[in-house]
Amino acid sequence: MAAYIQARNVKLTFRPPNRAAVSALDAFDMDVEDGEFLSIVGPSGCGKSTFLNVLLGLIKPDSGEVRIRGKKISGPGSERAMVFQEFGLLPWRTVQHNIELGLELKRTAAAKRRHVAERLISLVGLAGFENHYPHELSGGMKQRVGLARALATDPDVLLMDEPFAALDAQTRDLMQVELLRIWREARKTVLFVTHQIDEAIYLSDRVLVMSKRPGRTKKIFDIKLPRPREYEMRVTPEFNDLKLEIWNTLKDEIVI
Amino acid sequence: MAVENLAVQPSPGASFVSRHRSALLGALAVALFFAAWQAIFLIVPLNPLFFTTPSLIAAGYVDLIESGDLLHDLAVSAVPFGLGLLAAVIVGVPLGILMGWRVRVGYALDPLMTVFYASPLVALAPLLVIFFGVGVSGKTIIVFTLAVFPFIFNVAAGVRAVDRLLINVVRSLGGRERDIYLKILFPSVLPYIVAGARIAVGRALIAVLVGEFFAASEGIGYAISRFGDIFAIDRMFACILTVMVIAVVLTEGIRRAERAAFPWRASQ
Repeated sequence: MAAYIQARNVKLTFRPPNRAAVSALDAFDMDVEDGEFLSIVGPSGCGKSTFLNVLLGLIKPDSGEVRIRGKKISGPGSERAMVFQEFGLLPWRTVQHNIELGLELKRTAAAKRRHVAERLISLVGLAGFENHYPHELSGGMKQRVGLARALATDPDVLLMDEPFAALDAQTRDLMQVELLRIWREARKTVLFVTHQIDEAIYLSDRVLVMSKRPGRTKKIFDIKLPRPREYEMRVTPEFNDLKLEIWNTLKDEIVI
Repeated sequence: MAVENLAVQPSPGASFVSRHRSALLGALAVALFFAAWQAIFLIVPLNPLFFTTPSLIAAGYVDLIESGDLLHDLAVSAVPFGLGLLAAVIVGVPLGILMGWRVRVGYALDPLMTVFYASPLVALAPLLVIFFGVGVSGKTIIVFTLAVFPFIFNVAAGVRAVDRLLINVVRSLGGRERDIYLKILFPSVLPYIVAGARIAVGRALIAVLVGEFFAASEGIGYAISRFGDIFAIDRMFACILTVMVIAVVLTEGIRRAERAAFPWRASQ
């Protein structure tokens, strides 16, 4: 049986006006299983964020195709939702109304929207902040809103594009713990793009290492750490061996 | 999880003076200015033909208010002021959106509009009066000519500053073109329209006055120029001060409304 998400021979070249064309993805293949947490690490500019945008349906590839449950992606769809690195919250909307955005666009009735938002606000730990505006929130809280907004339309696949990159190191560690808790409750397939190897290992079932541009799958690592993951696992020899192995795979691809 | 709102707020127990320090100091400077004006003529002999004092202006004020002339002139001037501003919004906002949203339209119109915005268009007032007459329509056109450009440029800048990420957010959640306009473009641009209004109001006041200087038989600008012609300096200043107060109230009122209505911008 075909994988839940299946990317085959995805090719994409950016052709910005007045500048040289950039090949972002070339013959990119990948498979993701239902309910899996898969992280993608790769050098800057390798096309990993581009691939997420293809999956999201915002960018069309030049050739190749991506299928979800066998159905070819041709645009945005409610079975997928993205959590953005820079949060992407609407500054003129309160926490509650930011979370309701997706449902509003699907023309869901107001009472239902409110009900969903209330449940998610408590899931992501923002109770009491319903009527705050984004500028009144810390970075970690903003990303909780971003996560709740993505979950509001009840997608099967959650795409996360370096969601914690704009946060400080400690907030980031706590958000990883929170994300695992929420993932356990919400049971989604997650594609998580990151630069941090230990973040990828700690969160994921598998870690995919991408080559430098144009991005291809270089190697996939199975993370056999038991779940639920504990913070202490990050200092075990097993974890560190894995980290070193992934780093050794990745470092040849990094161009500085 | 503390809310990061670190704006300096005086504690509730602080005295009246420390809570209103900036307003009090500002008011004190204004009071001192008028006191110094009054005082200087205690030393220097005053030729009442050319000079006046705050006390004489105050007496002139009482005159103008009691006779109802001031209110009448203000009401007359308010009509082209309001109509001209309204026309400036109706034309300026869509044109600004077009220039900001359609790159080629922006490239094409930017130089022309910049020339108009930067030049002293009041110089065209005599010509506009010839074209459109000395009545409400002529004055309205002059107000429109000066007030439309702040709207065009602010709105165009607002459209260009729309966060592309937010557009992608709406798209990714299944939003259509209409949703992008209503849920992202409009709320993003609204503060720029109000900021444009703050500039436009000042220019519109100048336009009304100049229009009425050239050709009018009533209105606050006409009153200023007539009182000047007959050397009624006290009443002339009473009218000028009224216009100044109106200008300050309008622009400061809009500024406060901006802060109240768009709190996320104040924090940027």
